[in-house]
Amino acid sequence: MIELKNIGVQFSGRDILKDVSVMFNPGEIIGLVAPNGTGKSTLMNVIMNYINPNNGKVILNHELEYTNKKNEVKIHQLVSMMPDQSDLYNQISGKEHLKIYSSMWNSNRKLIESTIKELGMKSYIKKNTGTYSLGMRQRLCFAMQIVSDTQVMLMDEVMNGLDPTHVELISQILVKKKSEGKTVIVASHLLENLEKYADRIFFMKNGELILVNAVSPGFDEREITTVRVTDLTDKIKEKFSKEFPERNVRTLSNGVTLIDVREYDSGRLGKVVEFLKENQIKEFSIGKEALTDLYSMYYQER
Amino acid sequence: MWAYFKFEFFQFFSNKKNIAIYVILLFFSCYYALKIAPTYIPIEKVDVNEIEARYLTREEFLNNVEINEGTHHLTRFAATIFPEWNEYDKERLDSIEQHNLKEYAEATYKWYAYSDEMIFRYGGGFLFYNPGYYTYGNNYATMDGHYAYLYSASRYEGYSEGTSNLSVKVFEERTALQTLQRLLHAYLPLILIVSCILFTVDIVLKDRQNPTLLQGLPLSDWRRLIVKGGVSLLGSILAILPLSVGLLIIGARNGFGDFDLPVPIYFLGEFSNITIGKYLIQNMLFIVFWFVFIISLLLFVSVTIKNEFANLLVGCVFVIAEFIYFARGVAVVWNVQWYPTSYVQVGQIISGYRNYLYGTEALTFGNGLYVMGLCACIFLFFTFLISNRRKFKLL
Amino acid sequence: MHMWKILKTCFILEKSNKKNIFACIIVAVFVFGLVLFVKTEDLGNTIKEKSGEYQSLSSALSKFQNVDATDSGNGSDLYKNLVLQRHYVSKQSMAIKMDKPEMYLDTAILLVNLRADSFDMEGFQNVASYLPSKIENQLDSVFYQYMKKTGISLSMNSLSYFQFLAYLIGVLGSVWFIFMSIYSSGVMIEDFQHSSLIKGYPITFDKYVVAKCISLMLIVGVFLLELFIFSLPLVYFKGLGNPSYPIAIFIDGTSEVYPIYKYLGLSLLYMISISIFTILLSVIFNVLLKNMYLTLFLELLLYIFPILFPSMISLIPFNPFNYLNFPNLLNGQMFELTNSVDLNSTHGLIYIGISIAIMVVAVKLFLTTGKLKKV
Repeated sequence: MIELKNIGVQFSGRDILKDVSVMFNPGEIIGLVAPNGTGKSTLMNVIMNYINPNNGKVILNHELEYTNKKNEVKIHQLVSMMPDQSDLYNQISGKEHLKIYSSMWNSNRKLIESTIKELGMKSYIKKNTGTYSLGMRQRLCFAMQIVSDTQVMLMDEVMNGLDPTHVELISQILVKKKSEGKTVIVASHLLENLEKYADRIFFMKNGELILVNAVSPGFDEREITTVRVTDLTDKIKEKFSKEFPERNVRTLSNGVTLIDVREYDSGRLGKVVEFLKENQIKEFSIGKEALTDLYSMYYQER
Repeated sequence: MWAYFKFEFFQFFSNKKNIAIYVILLFFSCYYALKIAPTYIPIEKVDVNEIEARYLTREEFLNNVEINEGTHHLTRFAATIFPEWNEYDKERLDSIEQHNLKEYAEATYKWYAYSDEMIFRYGGGFLFYNPGYYTYGNNYATMDGHYAYLYSASRYEGYSEGTSNLSVKVFEERTALQTLQRLLHAYLPLILIVSCILFTVDIVLKDRQNPTLLQGLPLSDWRRLIVKGGVSLLGSILAILPLSVGLLIIGARNGFGDFDLPVPIYFLGEFSNITIGKYLIQNMLFIVFWFVFIISLLLFVSVTIKNEFANLLVGCVFVIAEFIYFARGVAVVWNVQWYPTSYVQVGQIISGYRNYLYGTEALTFGNGLYVMGLCACIFLFFTFLISNRRKFKLL
Repeated sequence: MHMWKILKTCFILEKSNKKNIFACIIVAVFVFGLVLFVKTEDLGNTIKEKSGEYQSLSSALSKFQNVDATDSGNGSDLYKNLVLQRHYVSKQSMAIKMDKPEMYLDTAILLVNLRADSFDMEGFQNVASYLPSKIENQLDSVFYQYMKKTGISLSMNSLSYFQFLAYLIGVLGSVWFIFMSIYSSGVMIEDFQHSSLIKGYPITFDKYVVAKCISLMLIVGVFLLELFIFSLPLVYFKGLGNPSYPIAIFIDGTSEVYPIYKYLGLSLLYMISISIFTILLSVIFNVLLKNMYLTLFLELLLYIFPILFPSMISLIPFNPFNYLNFPNLLNGQMFELTNSVDLNSTHGLIYIGISIAIMVVAVKLFLTTGKLKKV
């Protein structure tokens, strides 16, 4: 369990993080979603103590804080951050990287082989990383962190440069780690993917962490709240408003129109569908708003 | 290509290491100009007391000696050679007292020529060169003295025939240009070559830190290498700027001398003079050839071994290799003229001193350029082949 | 336990570093080159050395007018002294040619004593450059007296294996710091290029540095081993020689005789201390300057600083950089530079040791992994 208490970071007078207080629990995958430059990496760097916050503190398991070097070592034993792929040693093999991480964190050696197998890296793991492609390097970085087997794992842009198959593969491993009781904090721009496995998702804006639920109540409820229409012309939208005047219709900057259908029963919902069909709308879905929509709503609304 | 050149050039001069090299060169040139140059004491200095003492002793001997049948053969010999010798010493004394430097130069020229003739040819074991050469442990003092006397003779002959302004500073080779000449004869070429190595050592491999930025440039690897080499060559040549600060300091203190001053060149046992201007140009050209050689060598090592430390070591090996095999007269056994490393003492090659030491005639300016140029071409050729292989990656 | 896991990491990295292979090759080339040099120059050949000495004395004498050199003659004391010296030197040459080491040794002792007298004579300054220095003579004196006392047979031929090792370490020792600073100048920079890995390691920076030093020191151990291995060809050419053949050195302001193995031991101790010193210095400069070449230049400047400004040596005798050229310290050349007996070789080791301790403490106190920046 890792707790951030009143963390504040300022760079040249600008608030990057403003009084952030949050608790991350074991067996939880946390998603961090925010446009570039809003402080995701800064937050992770603060958790790793790579950056000293101007105020506030990080508390691990109720007791450990970055008060001295000894504690920093203890915390690093339990909290790891995924390495940058540009920092890999080009002249040694992927396997040796894994060995380094395994021995540094003194983790179970068997993890090396199992991770290689799970990520399908067997064919190239013995080659020097200098010969790897972007995706291979990214997988290796991820594998290194998995091998380190720490209680808390911070992953910045973990899905960068991966093909859909591997995105899926890594998602599964993340879920597995979660079931092992790890705390995984993921920053990602693959919102659809994140939505699938993250337990809690935070937006960041103006140096604050905002839980997605707070932006859109009912985001994590299991009921039909919204009809998403991808292409709704203004004309049809007008027509729709006339027909269902009490409905809240919003068009987002990503082109998606959201029709609030809360408290509708299936009959009235059918009417909405009928209307859309009559007006030659081919793409729409019924359910709730997607993370992408919230993202657009939250960051691009002026 | 021009844009890339500008890009590399800018990188070169914003590289902390390169700036540091320039600063260090500046420091050394100032240190030399302010601390070392003033304490320079040439062995062949203009020393009236010394001449006078020698002249008076010999004059006294000549006045008192009586030659008869019982005279020791050395005394007899001395009595025959001292009159002419003293005549020159007398001229030197007189002319320096009257500040007639031209005449002094001429008398000194004759004095050195005559002295060497006497000491080298007839004086084995009882006539000696200036004691400055006979330091403890120097087994070649006579050879050194022989060279220095002929050198001085030729030099003074040049002074007496030339049109340059003469002064004691010129005679003792203390003016800025002559100091430069002396330095070229000593460690300056090594310093420049080492600087060139340090400039070039990372010019290819520095890009490893941001490979993606540069991999996609629409320029072949070979062209990029050439541009890098060009920038490094330019940077190495510009190393002359900080060094010239020291030269200006010396010039302000001791005068600059002029480009027509003579520099004696040894060839086949004899000396002939060229002007210092010509000497400097030849040196410059030779050093530029060295730069090209070193740069092509390091480009070659950079694309084959791809390790900065290796670059540094290989470069240094080429600079110091000569110390390992150098020995006086060794050219009889080995054909040293075919090793590029034999030419590392650029000034000594051009003045012929290296030939004198090795006991050969083959270490000439022309041979040097030929060997260095050929080696550079070979290195560049292999670099070209390697950089054009399909699987080759520059970084 | 902690240490072991970092060491394993360091080994994996050093194993793949081309730099180490190159450094090993260079050391080997250096040793081979020196073997070659010793062979071509015929170093240690007493006949050659004596003929040089004879020439020097002759030219020293040429400074005087030829006069009667008998005791009752009217030449100056110094003149008579030099004439006698020359006589002894030629006698030594004869002794070598006739293979009479006894006679050579006796004459050598006479010669050394004669020289000792000459230093205080009037007019000595004029001929000083033709003669060995006072300290060299002092070392010779101790050496020959020791030889006489113990009866070890004098080596008059070129250098054999053990003598060559002593010579090799003398040459290498004076450039050892330079070599080590080139070798270690990038020690941390290479890691900074992988900062996101290193920053997160669950170990303190000082432990990491110590592990790094240990792994580098193991490679330095390989270098030192190479010296002994690649000199072995000399065993074939010149024989093994006597490992307890004496060498006269300057220890703590007095001249003493050490057997070669002891001298080698002392030199190795110095070289190892200097290696640790240089590596730590490189670590600190790397962190401060974040540039491999600036580190190298700064180290070399610090090294030549006492040589450029000799007055600084007596001003700050505890400056460890005064002691890095330990062969000069041991053969007394440093004393001639400084004209003071402040530079004590044992103190030198202590100062270097203290500097190492200070640097370790500094690393422990001031440097952390967390704040490393990528370069």
